[in-house]
Amino acid sequence: MNDEKEQFEQRLRHQTVKQVPAGWRAEILAAVADDARNQRSETIRKMTLAEALMRRVRELLWPHPAAWAGLAAVWLFVFGINFSMREESPALAIKTSPPSPEEVSELRQQHRLYAELVGMPDTVTRDVKRPRDPLSKPRSERAEILAA
Amino acid sequence: MPAGLEIERLYDQHAQPLYAFLLNLTRDEADTRDLLQEVFVKIARDPQLLHGIREERAFLIRLAHNAAIDLIRRRGTRERTRENFAAETVSPFAPASDPDEETFRNNLAGALAELPAEQRAVAHLKLWEGLTFEQIAAALEIPPNTAASRYRYALDKMRERLRPLYEEMKKAE
Repeated sequence: MNDEKEQFEQRLRHQTVKQVPAGWRAEILAAVADDARNQRSETIRKMTLAEALMRRVRELLWPHPAAWAGLAAVWLFVFGINFSMREESPALAIKTSPPSPEEVSELRQQHRLYAELVGMPDTVTRDVKRPRDPLSKPRSERAEILAA
Repeated sequence: MPAGLEIERLYDQHAQPLYAFLLNLTRDEADTRDLLQEVFVKIARDPQLLHGIREERAFLIRLAHNAAIDLIRRRGTRERTRENFAAETVSPFAPASDPDEETFRNNLAGALAELPAEQRAVAHLKLWEGLTFEQIAAALEIPPNTAASRYRYALDKMRERLRPLYEEMKKAE
């Protein structure tokens, strides 16, 4: 059975297939070359299209350079205004910055004067001058105070 | 693209087996020519396709097979019917001088035409290209076991179809 199968297979193998027609070689290679040429010209055509677009833009802008420059200047001005509006103004920056020590002392002085005039106890300056409670010191320092 | 000489080399080395393979699948000379051209144009357009390919033949067979399958799918029912009776119109075999051999080839062409395209492709590559199942599997992008089973089915069908003629020829010998 297997022998018969193998013989049949061998018989099939010995059948000769057709040869590729000789004329096809030149035709197919010519078609490949044509296709390559078409591909190249297509690439060139695409580049030419981009160049033509640039030329059209140039043609549109070139006759009135002063007008386009003026328009650009206006745009720059508008942009500058818009940019400066976004920044914090100097006045606001001063307001938000912390007061200097001189300002603080002057404020305290004004507050004390006001307290004297009104007859109120000067809480601000009193808090500053009030001596520290010895009992609030650490235990070791408290012992020294008691011995003295 | 690869230099013209490179395409010429590829053509000279691989056009014959690709032609026989495509003719066996399409059973149409004009379609075979178009597909063969399509394969070489594809390679010329994108030479990187062959970069790092060890088995040029297997790769070209894959391209040809894919192109042929696309074509067969594009064909309508009418065309598929024609494909079934294609043996009557185009045979993939060269004419034989011996009349008995010629009859056998014609019948074999008919038996091949009755096979599904997948089995026919495997049978062709195994019998007339001498590829192993691994090489066929690589070329057609199928597992080697599938290639082997398709070949077995194809061979059994052809044997069944050609048995009377084959036995008669054996007796005559």
